Amino acid sequence: MDLKSNSYTIEGEKAYFTLFPTLCKGCGLCMEKCPVKVIEWSDKLGVYGTPAVQVKEDSKCTGCKICELVCPDCAITITPKRKAK
Amino acid sequence: MEFDISMPKCWRRETKGHKFCPGCGHGLVLKALGLAIDELQIQDRVVFGCDIGCSLLAYDFFNVDTMQTHHGRTTPVITGIKRARPDRIGIAYMGDGGGYAIGSQHLVNAAARNERITAILVNNTVYGMTGGQMAPTTLPGMKTETSPYGREISQTGYPTQGPEMVAAITREGAYVARGTVGKLSQLKNMIKKALETQIAGTGFSFVEALSTCPTNWSTNAKDTWSFLEDEMTKYFKVGELKVPAKEE
Ligand code: SF4
Ligand code: SF4
Ligand code: SF4
Repeated sequence: MDLKSNSYTIEGEKAYFTLFPTLCKGCGLCMEKCPVKVIEWSDKLGVYGTPAVQVKEDSKCTGCKICELVCPDCAITITPKRKAK
Repeated sequence: MEFDISMPKCWRRETKGHKFCPGCGHGLVLKALGLAIDELQIQDRVVFGCDIGCSLLAYDFFNVDTMQTHHGRTTPVITGIKRARPDRIGIAYMGDGGGYAIGSQHLVNAAARNERITAILVNNTVYGMTGGQMAPTTLPGMKTETSPYGREISQTGYPTQGPEMVAAITREGAYVARGTVGKLSQLKNMIKKALETQIAGTGFSFVEALSTCPTNWSTNAKDTWSFLEDEMTKYFKVGELKVPAKEE
């Protein structure tokens, strides 16, 4: 299976949040570690048929990459936007 | 715009998602190890050995030469490989059951002989694969399948302090540390120093990683983190216990 199939990206003010449902097991560890608490359950399903995660709309995601680091399955990629100007 | 999966380069992508449970700390320890291997650019020299128990689920985890053994024997097997092929970098990966109970003699003797290998031991306070029985690392009073009323210290003794023991029996030149998957960058740096110790050839290197087992702890994400970071660290102190002296 292509690990990137069904991936989705949510654009925030400071960073892109990409989730790979083929990898997300719905453990919730990322949610608890997000310092600004902007990760929530998604309607999309992960590899075990449990809810995957997403960032909230108009999210205050800072692009800190903590969620990416603490995901045991590497299901999240954070791509900070280059500084404007 | 195309976004790629953020995964250590030495991880074997074809075998992902990996076989560990949701929220299992093994994925994090192996991420720290993968990042360390990538940063040191040693992927083509690494020989990785995993043990029986949940650690064996790493048998196809990396794009490196890998073998799997039983009951702590990953330590002597990696020792043998290292002695036959000193140019290789040998990593023995095991759980607390294999390393501190069933196969503790292997860890003790490899440390006492100051073998030039790196041992990484995952401490999640239970026997994971067999269903959450009491392990040498189970906390005092902690309920498990085989300690339903909580671990009784007067009968079963205190939890094994692995890095403290290894630090006491290794010679100068060894590297010994305890990290946690709750501080992944620190854990990666400890593993990196352990591998550098092996490369420098000054002695045995050992990293215990405090880790999570939500399946057998029966914890949700919040309680998984708090058991790891608040309960386990009361008993298992995170930090470096032995560091090789810097060369002048
Ligand atoms: S990058 Fe940081 S702020 Fe953004 S969702 Fe992840 S943990 Fe939260
Ligand atoms: S993204 Fe990772 S940490 Fe978050 S719920 Fe999915 S598997 Fe767990
Ligand atoms: S039983 Fe525990 S240690 Fe084993 S894979 Fe599951 S969470 Fe990880």
